Amino acid sequence: MRASDAALIQKIVQRDESALAALYDRYASLLSSLLNRILRDTQASEEILQDVFYQLWRNAAQFDPARGSLPGWLAVIARNRAISRLRRHNPSEGDELLETTVIVPANLENALAQQQLLGRVKGALENLSSEQRAAIELAYFEGLTHSEIASKTGDPLGTVKTRIRSAVESLKRKLLS
Amino acid sequence: MSGHPTRPEEFDLYALGVLEGQEKAAIESHVPTCAQCANTLAEARGRITLLAFSAPRVEPSAAVRERLMRQVHASAGSAGARHAMDEPERAGGFFGRWWAAILVPVGVALAIATIFLWTVNARLSRELARQRANLEEQKKQLDEARHMADLLEAKDTVSVALAVQPGMPKGDVRVRYNAKMGVAVCDGWVEPAPANKSYQLWVVPMEGKPISAGVMDHGGPINPWMMKLPQGTAAKAFAVTLEPEGGMPQPTGPMVLVGPVS
Repeated sequence: MRASDAALIQKIVQRDESALAALYDRYASLLSSLLNRILRDTQASEEILQDVFYQLWRNAAQFDPARGSLPGWLAVIARNRAISRLRRHNPSEGDELLETTVIVPANLENALAQQQLLGRVKGALENLSSEQRAAIELAYFEGLTHSEIASKTGDPLGTVKTRIRSAVESLKRKLLS
Repeated sequence: MSGHPTRPEEFDLYALGVLEGQEKAAIESHVPTCAQCANTLAEARGRITLLAFSAPRVEPSAAVRERLMRQVHASAGSAGARHAMDEPERAGGFFGRWWAAILVPVGVALAIATIFLWTVNARLSRELARQRANLEEQKKQLDEARHMADLLEAKDTVSVALAVQPGMPKGDVRVRYNAKMGVAVCDGWVEPAPANKSYQLWVVPMEGKPISAGVMDHGGPINPWMMKLPQGTAAKAFAVTLEPEGGMPQPTGPMVLVGPVS
């Protein structure tokens, strides 16, 4: 029987290297895809991927599985670091994110669940207009704010805000339905 | 801000990272003081995080896992050494208590010093390698930025607007091309590609077959993207085709955008 994320975290706290390897095998592909999409640079993506899992190894005792989802937490840290690198900000240590709680509306602990979720996310994105989708992608994958998106696309700020707000509402409805 | 955000989607916008100024500060000042809003924000973060699943699948190389496990093993080794130091002393017998009292601490100290130096050395080597890689990357980006600035300032740079072909996804793509420099920069946007398809940019030379200038993934905004043409190649046109995911060595799919070099 597959060990749960919580059980593996507990083993990592006891310095069980095989537990970290099991979590890596479970989530490295998801994080690698996210990092490559943001950075479009294999070497930089792999460095951050390694750092994120090493941070998990060092700080596993401070992660409380009861307070949120491990893959969600890993993805938030990976995205944060990748965006920092992309925008030439000082890379965040990420440790402050130990306090970050991420409640994912699905169990992502097995490949089938991830596959099903992929279908739902794709469906939700396809439901958006091309302008909405492009704006959401600029925000999520490039880390741009409302005004930066407006500046990049040449659209008025108000239009961008309305576009993103309605896209977020639509995603929320579709992902929770 | 003392009250709850008035619109529930504010939390999703914050998690997405688009809020700025007062809107962002309002959430950041309120959430730490309100358990209910902290929970709402955690749920919003979870929903926004699902967007990670829309990224095209890229498997990491096996080397990353190996490096990670080596790094972890090395750190565990250091912890093991510290643990060993705490073990009760068991020396005795032939050497006697006095010898043991001298040799064991010296041996432990030497072992710790060795492990410490090895760990420091490994860490410094990694850091050096990373700094070198960063430097190389920055040099590359600087060169690219210089080339781009030269291209944009040059009087003989031409702007080629690529026209959308009938029935194809919409887009607004422009290529600025300097034949003398053999450099072109492409930017704009294009509608998302159908599933399992990628857009691919081509240089159509005066003579010979089209040359791939890169795969543009699945559409959306295109960051300014510089390409160097092979030496001696003059472009007749630039084109974008729809190809199987990851691109093809030669165009096989329908032409989405095309623009002749005037």
